[in-house]
Amino acid sequence: MKFRIYRALARGVVLESIRRKDLWVVAILGFLIMMTAGVLGFFGIQGLQVFVKDLAVSVLGIFGTIVAVLTASRMIPEEIKQRTLYPLLARPITRFDLLVGKLIGATVVSWIAFLMLAALTALALASFHVGFEPIMLQYLLCKMLGLAVVCALSLALSLYMTPAAAATMSLIFAFGSGMVVHALTMSYSAASGPAQFAIKALNSVLPQFSLFDLGSRAANLHWAPVPLWVVLFLLGYAVVYSAAMTLLAWTKFRRQAL
Amino acid sequence: MTQAIEVSSLVVEYRTKNGQRVDAVNDLSFTVQPGEIVGFLGPNGAGKSSTLKALMGFVVPRSGDCRIFGLEAGSLQAKACIGYLPEVAMYYPFLTPLETMRLYGELQGLCGSKLIQEAKDLLARVGLKDAMNKQNRTLSKGMLQRVGIAQSLLGQPALLVLDEVTSGLDPLGRKELREILKEKQSEGTTLFFSSHELSEVDMLCDRILIIHKGHLIEERGMVELKEDLRKYTVSYVGAASLLGLTENWSEDEGVCHARFTEKEQLVQAINRVHIAGARVIDVVSQEGSLEEYFIERIGRAA
Repeated sequence: MKFRIYRALARGVVLESIRRKDLWVVAILGFLIMMTAGVLGFFGIQGLQVFVKDLAVSVLGIFGTIVAVLTASRMIPEEIKQRTLYPLLARPITRFDLLVGKLIGATVVSWIAFLMLAALTALALASFHVGFEPIMLQYLLCKMLGLAVVCALSLALSLYMTPAAAATMSLIFAFGSGMVVHALTMSYSAASGPAQFAIKALNSVLPQFSLFDLGSRAANLHWAPVPLWVVLFLLGYAVVYSAAMTLLAWTKFRRQAL
Repeated sequence: MTQAIEVSSLVVEYRTKNGQRVDAVNDLSFTVQPGEIVGFLGPNGAGKSSTLKALMGFVVPRSGDCRIFGLEAGSLQAKACIGYLPEVAMYYPFLTPLETMRLYGELQGLCGSKLIQEAKDLLARVGLKDAMNKQNRTLSKGMLQRVGIAQSLLGQPALLVLDEVTSGLDPLGRKELREILKEKQSEGTTLFFSSHELSEVDMLCDRILIIHKGHLIEERGMVELKEDLRKYTVSYVGAASLLGLTENWSEDEGVCHARFTEKEQLVQAINRVHIAGARVIDVVSQEGSLEEYFIERIGRAA
């Protein structure tokens, strides 16, 4: 029964997103990637495989994240503003069900955008005779897990602040995660006992998006894939963190006057 | 007997932009019996939508209790019994009416070909047979209201809660809606709706509730109310004293017209006219205006 509810809600989000042409920006970007690859190939620039691969994974990661943030952060506020929420919540579903269904929908939209771009990137790389190695597939899988966490974070933040602020905060977390972790690590070694505890606590609460980014490994040629336990750990982390964010969203949403 | 709706001492408050608490509904109590059609009336800002939102669980009351067929309002079991039409209904602009119905139907627990068939039948019933596969954004306001009415009927709910039900509908649409609602009532469905269209209320309701500034100020059965509002006029030629019965009379080219609010007064007047040897030439029984009554009642409560 719950599965049917989530599927119905998620399908609505995906259909709306596709018909609203949200994913056109991804298609245009993919076309630009193909054109760039074609131009580089036409001028016969060889030995640039690593550079092109690095560029491709960076573009993939950036645009996948932007689609995820923009989709998830505006979803619930828009539903409230446009009053489309009332007929939904008038049905025998809980507000938690609604959040989960919408989160699944936003995640699927970001995955569709990401995989569309990935397919076009694979074609572009093929023009440079760069194959899709197992590490690249691992990169895609881990990035998709990361996008699910980005969606959960954006959704949760959108219930506590305006959609624009939620999107900005999510993008800061998503792209600045590596820098924040680095800064915390530096601070930790310089800090005293209680401060170290606080830094540890903060570090465990903040989203660790850099963990999901295997881009620097995937950009290199012929690198071995990471062990399976790493992927499983990331899967576990994504599930736990997304669940925590959904609970955080529900804490605000469950008694919110509509 | 379990009431379809039972509201006791309901208080709903909201916060203004500067943080002040304002009571939208204050100590409101009423019941609606199964199978009844009850109109919920009041001027703008009276607390109608807030009450309906409390019934649907969209707002948590500060105090008081709302029950739907004995179940806590807002609970899944209670919501499963209700078909709800929100005020200013908006539906996903990029979905079609059929997809919209499918979405709500699946959330209602319906599925498969049975759901699709019911959705198509309901859309056809509200006059959207030719528009069920067009995107909602291309539909007019009246057509969207029809989508809203159709979605509220999904799953044959035992109670229909309709907020501003005739909003955006043309006269033909209103007539069709009346027929649908009457049909639903004959099937045993309870109807509770708010409307500013007093003519609709007049034609549909068994009973009305009037709310003003969050308080219930009137609760009347329509038959009784219509009888109270009825006005009688007797026209006669000749001399007859109607002293003590009415002061509302006029003379026009030798014909006297005396007006009464009570049927008993009319009967007495006709008797007096006969006894006095005058001749009754016309007796008119005229329905009173619900609008005038509503305005007078709100004015008295203000």
